[in-house]
Amino acid sequence: MSGGTEPSAETLTALYDILETFNKTGAAFAPGTRFSEDLNFDSLVVMEFVAVVEDAFDISIPLNILPDIATIKDLAVAVEKIVAE
Amino acid sequence: MAALFDRFAPLMAQRDAMLGDGGVNPFKVKMDQVLSQTEAIIAGRHTILVGTNNYLGLTFAPEALKAAHDALEACGTGTTGSRVANGTYHGHKELEDALCDFFGKEHAMVFSTGFLANLGILSTLMGPEDYILMDADCHASIYDGVRGSSAQIIRFKHNDAGDLDKRLGRLADKPGNKLIVIEGIYSMLGDKAPLAEIVAVKKKYENVYLLSDEAHSVGVLGKYGRGLPEEVGCEDDVDFIVGTFSKSVGTVGGFCVSNHPDFDTLRLVTRAYIFTASLPPSVVASATVNLGLVRNGGALRKRLMRNAQHLHAGLTALGLKVASENSPVVAVVTPDPQVALMFWRGLIEAGVYVNLALPPATPYGYSLLRASLCAAHTEEQLDKVIAIFAEVAAKVGVIAPVESLPVRKRSAVA
Repeated sequence: MSGGTEPSAETLTALYDILETFNKTGAAFAPGTRFSEDLNFDSLVVMEFVAVVEDAFDISIPLNILPDIATIKDLAVAVEKIVAE
Repeated sequence: MAALFDRFAPLMAQRDAMLGDGGVNPFKVKMDQVLSQTEAIIAGRHTILVGTNNYLGLTFAPEALKAAHDALEACGTGTTGSRVANGTYHGHKELEDALCDFFGKEHAMVFSTGFLANLGILSTLMGPEDYILMDADCHASIYDGVRGSSAQIIRFKHNDAGDLDKRLGRLADKPGNKLIVIEGIYSMLGDKAPLAEIVAVKKKYENVYLLSDEAHSVGVLGKYGRGLPEEVGCEDDVDFIVGTFSKSVGTVGGFCVSNHPDFDTLRLVTRAYIFTASLPPSVVASATVNLGLVRNGGALRKRLMRNAQHLHAGLTALGLKVASENSPVVAVVTPDPQVALMFWRGLIEAGVYVNLALPPATPYGYSLLRASLCAAHTEEQLDKVIAIFAEVAAKVGVIAPVESLPVRKRSAVA
């Protein structure tokens, strides 16, 4: 999903803050950090994490877009798009 | 190039590590001989079954056995065809009429399993402009069903009408139809949906429909066994009820009932209905007969709930943490998968079968010993089950208090 749009630093920082509580690998966060490969998120963790992100931004993230979200940047872009709608 | 099954290697390694090199494999239980609704021979051992979802114990109802035998003789072992081709016999129509009659609805569709009913209905009902709002703890068949839908799929927090309200509110200015998907009783922990609250939220918005999967509640809840909507008194507010014949009805098959005037359209567009063979006539006949027994099963429901309360009280008294009260599902929460497996092995070796339910198939990542009750259980059987739980728990050492169940934060209903 990584494309032309660059997410804002605020959105990324907010996601990093949420990710702290889910990160069991100790990996540092960057826009290109991948949920599955770098953070070892399994389907259960993804679901719990998405629920917290939804609460934090007061949005609903459709399940349909999850397969296209590989990195933190992908998620940040998607979140901003939903917030803007 | 990765080998075909490589991506499952971590899961298989996890399984092997958990199973170790000895003990009964919980994924390979075989019933060598079924003795009754509540007993079987497993690995040469006489075993009490407390995990079959056979809530009313109708699998050996004489009336249903006779109807099944008669249909088998008259119509053969299978239909060899789809409902829309050569696979609709008079029995299939009679079963659909019986379902309409049972639920007091205008339309009914019979599927080959409950899983297929969810898969078919949920993948078909809503279109690209629409939204499906599903409870996060819904069954795998619901997840697979919505995955096949072209609608936007949104999850709301389990049993949280306030969260649903918030999410419907965000969609209020979107033109598409919305479908709320819940279950009457959630299978793993046996907890009920807050149906009255969900109906109240539904009524706040336009173009919102409600579908409830009553797989575990038909036969169990309501004076006539019509499930949670009957118990709560809001049957007219539930637009679609999906269910199964493989639990209280004691055979196999699935269905959907509705009053929607265009419901029959689904017969021509639902792939899981069209492109699969229909149920064999003997199954259809036993389902039809058992549906009548379910309706008149008030006494069975009383026995079922008495049994559930007995087991719940007995296990709670042992210091075990049991998830839901007043539910035909009695799920014991254990500290982790390894303890759950040791406990489960202790039970099966002592002649008690329950379901071992592990994450990710469980909510909250729980490792569960999931018991489900049957109206046919006797008090003696259940006392024996409780005594064996006590022995095994002492041996495994899990009586040490399990942490209390986490309480999920709830949003208030606005």
